[in-house]
Amino acid sequence: MRALVLLFSALALQAMELVTLPGQSPIINFRFVFRCGSLNDLKGKEGTAALTAAMLARGGSQSTPYSDIIEKFYPMAASVGDQTDQEMLTISGVTHVDNLEAYYSTLRDMLLKPGWRPEDLKRLRDDQLTSLRVSLRQQNDEELGKEVLYNILLGTAHPNGTVSSLEKLTLADLQAFYKQHLTQANLTIALAGKYPEGFAERVKKDFSQLPAGKPSAVNPPAPKPIPQTRVTIVKKQTRAVAFSLGFPIPVNRSHPDFPALLVANTWFGPHRSSAGNLYQRMREIRGLNYGDYSYIEYFPRGMFQFEPDPNLARRQQIFQMWIRPVEPQTAHFTLRLALHELERLVEKGLTESDFEDTRSFLSRGVNLLLKTKANELGYRIDSQFYSIGEYPEYIRNAVAKLTVEDVNKAVKKHLRKDRLEIVAVAEDAEALQKALLSDAPSPMTYNSPKLADILEEDKLVSTRKLGLKPAQVRIVPVDRFFQ
Amino acid sequence: MRTLLTLLLAAGAYAAPPSKIFPYGYDLHDFPNGLRLITIPTDFPNIVSFYTVVSVGSRHEVESGKSGFAHFFEHCMFRGTKRFPPQKWEAVMKAAGAANNAYTSDDLTVYHATFDKAGLESIIDLEADRFQNLEYSENAFRTEALAVNGEYNKNSTEPANQLEEKLRDTAYDRHTYKHTTMGFLADIKDMPNQYEYSKQFFNRFYRPENTTLVIVGDVDQKQVRSMVEKYWGPWKKGAVKPQIPVEPPQTAERKGHVDWPTPTLPWMMIGYKVPAFTENMRDSAALDLIASLALGQNSPLYKKLVIDEQKNDVLQGGYQNHADPYMFIVYSRVKNDADMPAVQDAIISTLNGFKDTLVDAKRLEAVKSNLRYSFALGLDNSEAIAENLANYIALTRTPETLNQVYDLYASLTPEDLREVARKYFVASGRTVATLAHKKEAK
Repeated sequence: MRALVLLFSALALQAMELVTLPGQSPIINFRFVFRCGSLNDLKGKEGTAALTAAMLARGGSQSTPYSDIIEKFYPMAASVGDQTDQEMLTISGVTHVDNLEAYYSTLRDMLLKPGWRPEDLKRLRDDQLTSLRVSLRQQNDEELGKEVLYNILLGTAHPNGTVSSLEKLTLADLQAFYKQHLTQANLTIALAGKYPEGFAERVKKDFSQLPAGKPSAVNPPAPKPIPQTRVTIVKKQTRAVAFSLGFPIPVNRSHPDFPALLVANTWFGPHRSSAGNLYQRMREIRGLNYGDYSYIEYFPRGMFQFEPDPNLARRQQIFQMWIRPVEPQTAHFTLRLALHELERLVEKGLTESDFEDTRSFLSRGVNLLLKTKANELGYRIDSQFYSIGEYPEYIRNAVAKLTVEDVNKAVKKHLRKDRLEIVAVAEDAEALQKALLSDAPSPMTYNSPKLADILEEDKLVSTRKLGLKPAQVRIVPVDRFFQ
Repeated sequence: MRTLLTLLLAAGAYAAPPSKIFPYGYDLHDFPNGLRLITIPTDFPNIVSFYTVVSVGSRHEVESGKSGFAHFFEHCMFRGTKRFPPQKWEAVMKAAGAANNAYTSDDLTVYHATFDKAGLESIIDLEADRFQNLEYSENAFRTEALAVNGEYNKNSTEPANQLEEKLRDTAYDRHTYKHTTMGFLADIKDMPNQYEYSKQFFNRFYRPENTTLVIVGDVDQKQVRSMVEKYWGPWKKGAVKPQIPVEPPQTAERKGHVDWPTPTLPWMMIGYKVPAFTENMRDSAALDLIASLALGQNSPLYKKLVIDEQKNDVLQGGYQNHADPYMFIVYSRVKNDADMPAVQDAIISTLNGFKDTLVDAKRLEAVKSNLRYSFALGLDNSEAIAENLANYIALTRTPETLNQVYDLYASLTPEDLREVARKYFVASGRTVATLAHKKEAK
C-alpha cells in the first residue's frame, strides 16, 4: 500500500501546475514551489538547494544588482522569501496590487534570469554558514536537538547543508542545480488576491521559459531500523538540558492512518498549546520546564511560531517529542517521565471523551491554519503533493468518520515506547551519561506539595528502568554536527 | 506631497493606499466601570480574534526584587477560577477550536484567542471570569514559577537577550525600563516566594480602567457589545496608579560589555534616550522615519555594511513606542570582532549625519510609502489586525492613534527630521552595549 502511495505522489506532477485563489484582497501573494530540495543535493555538496533558493530570492538578477532590487522593492514594502526543505523549494512573494506590474517584472527576472554574482554568493553563503555554526549549534538548544534527531534518524543532512560542503560550493554548482531542478516539470505556481484578469496565465506563460525538465523527486532514503534505544548527548556549554526523541513513522498526510494519528497527537502534545497531555503532566502539574509537545510532521522553527509553515511536505516523517530545557538536576527524571507518558499513550490510548474533545477541536481549529491567503495557497500545494483533498475539508471529513478504536489502533500500529532515538543537549554530558547508565532512582522534589496520585506516579517514574548499556549512550561534541 | 504622488503615479511608479491608514470601521464603547471595547467587523469569514489588552507591563514592577513579575503574572492568569479551573478553561477553548496565548512587554500584557465564531459568547464569558475571579493556590503558583524559570533557561542561549539586559541596566538608573520584561535571574529564582505579592499585583493593576478588549472578525457589533456588557459589566474598577520612578536625564555616554562564553558573532546595541510615545508623537513619528532612512534595507548604511562590505549580517532598529521615555536602539551583528569599532563609527556618524544634512525628498517619500504599504500588507487576517493594534491600544486605547501616526508621517519634512535628529542623537544620551565571545570566560 505504502509503495503505491509513494509512487503515485512522485508521479503526480509532471507539468507546470497553476493554483489560483482570485479574490478581493489588494494583497497579492505569489508562491513558486518546486518539487526538489535538499534530497537532490549531491554528496559533498549539501546545502546546494538552499543556497540556490537564497541566490534567487536574496540575490540580484542579470540586469539588476541586489541592492537595486532592494531599492525598487522598498517603497512598495514588497518582499521575496525562500524556504528550502528536503523535497520542496519555495520562493514566495507578496505585494500590494498597486505595485503589481513593477513588482512582478522584477520578481520574474530574479527567478528566470538570476544574476549569479560572486558577491551575492559570498554574503548568502556566510548567512547559511552562520545559521549552522552559530544559530543552530550555539543559540537554540531546542532546534539543535530536533535537527540532530532528524539527522540521526533519517541519515539526511540539514536542508541548509553542512559547514564543510557549504565552504566548497561554487556558482557552477548552484547553476547546475538550477538548470536541472528548477524546471517546469517540478513547478507549481500559486497566486492569490485581486490580480487582473489574464495575469495568472501570463505568469504561467513567462515561466514556460524554464526548461521542461523531468520530475526531480527521489525517494527519501529508507530509515535504518533502530534495534534498541540509543541516546546521543550533544555536549556544549549551556544552562539547561534539552531533549528531543522519537522514531521514523511510515505515515504522512497521504497515509490512511494520518487523520487517526493526528487526533492522537493533538491530544498528546499539540504544538505550543497548554491543552496537551504532555504539557499538562510535565509543565502544568510539575513545573519541569516551559512546555512539552509532540509531532508527526516536520515542524522547524517551532519556538518562534505557533502554526507550521506550509510547503515543508515530506514523504518520510518521524514521531517526535520536544521536551523544552529543564534544570540539569531534573534531567534524568524528566526523560523518565517523558517515556512514561509515551508508554501510557501507546498502551492506553485515548479515552472516549479525550477522543471526542480532540476531534471537535480539530474540526474547528483546522480552519485557523489557513487564516492567510499565503497559507491557503501553501496548503493547496501540499495537498497536491500528498494527493489528498483540501486540507481542512480532508481533516474534517476524515475525523468525522473515526472512532476512538480507530485512533488507538493507529497509535498501537505506528507509535512505540521502545527502540527510540533520544537526543539530549547538555553541558555536563558525562554526568547525564553516568546517571542514565546507572539507572539509579532519580527522586523528584518540588517547591510545593503535590497530590498523592502525582507522588505515587513519581515513585514509579523515578525508578523506571531504561536498561541502557554503555554502547547505547554516546557523547558527541556539538561541533561534530552539521560539519 | 499630493502633487508629488500624482507625478509619480503618472510616471508609473508606486501609489499610496487610501489616506486613512486603518481601513476598517470600528465601534468604540466605554462601559461605566472603565472597560473599553473596540469591535472591528471584517470580511474574513468564520474566524474571530479576541484580544484583551492590559496596559500593564514590566514598567509597573516598581518594587525592588520584583523584576519579571508582570510576565510571571501573565502565567498566573492561566491558573484558573472556581468556575473554570484550568482544565475546564482549556476544554472551553478547545470546544471553540481556539488557538490562545499571551505575552508581556514593557507597557502591556496581551491575552489573545482566535477561534471559530460559534465560540464567541463562551469565550467572552470565560475570559471575563478569569479577569474578575482569578483564584489559584499557593501550590499552583509555586509550580508556575518553575515554568518561568524554564522560560528563562530556554531563552538563555540567545546572546541578544543578554545584551538587551546589559543595555537597559547600563542606560537606566531609576526607571523600571532598567530591567527586561523577563527580569533578572535572581528575581526569577525568588518568584515562588511571592504568592501574596501576586494577589496584590492582580488587585492593583488588573482592573477595567487598564483594560481594552479588541474583538476582530466575523462578528456583529451590537451582539458583541451586549455580550461584553453581560459578562464584563460587573467587573469592579479600582486601579492603582504605580509610582514609577522618573529617570534623571543622562549626562554622559555610557558603555557596557558582555563576555559571552560560547562561540557567537559579536553584537552591538546602540541606544539613544528619546521621549515617550504619547509625550511627543510628532518626534516619535520623525524618529520612525529616521530609522527607516538610516537603517532600512535601502539605506546607504545597510548597503555599505550588509551588501557591499559585508561586515554585518544584522542591521536594524529604531524607535519603539513606550509609555515613558525609552531608547532609539540600533541592533547590529558583525561578522568579525575586528570590525566592531569601524561599524560603531559608521552607525554613529550616519545618525549624526541627519543633524547636518537634509534628507533627500525622494528618499523620504520612498520611506513614507514603505511604511504605508508595510502596514497595509500586514492586515491579511483578523488576528493580524488585532495584533497590529495591540501596542497602540495599550498606550492610547484607540485605533485612531494609528491614523494619527500615519498622518504625521505624511506631514513631516526633511527640516523636521533634522530638528529631531539634533535633539536626540547626542553623545550624552547614548549607551553602547557590546557582546563578544570570550573563550576563558565562564
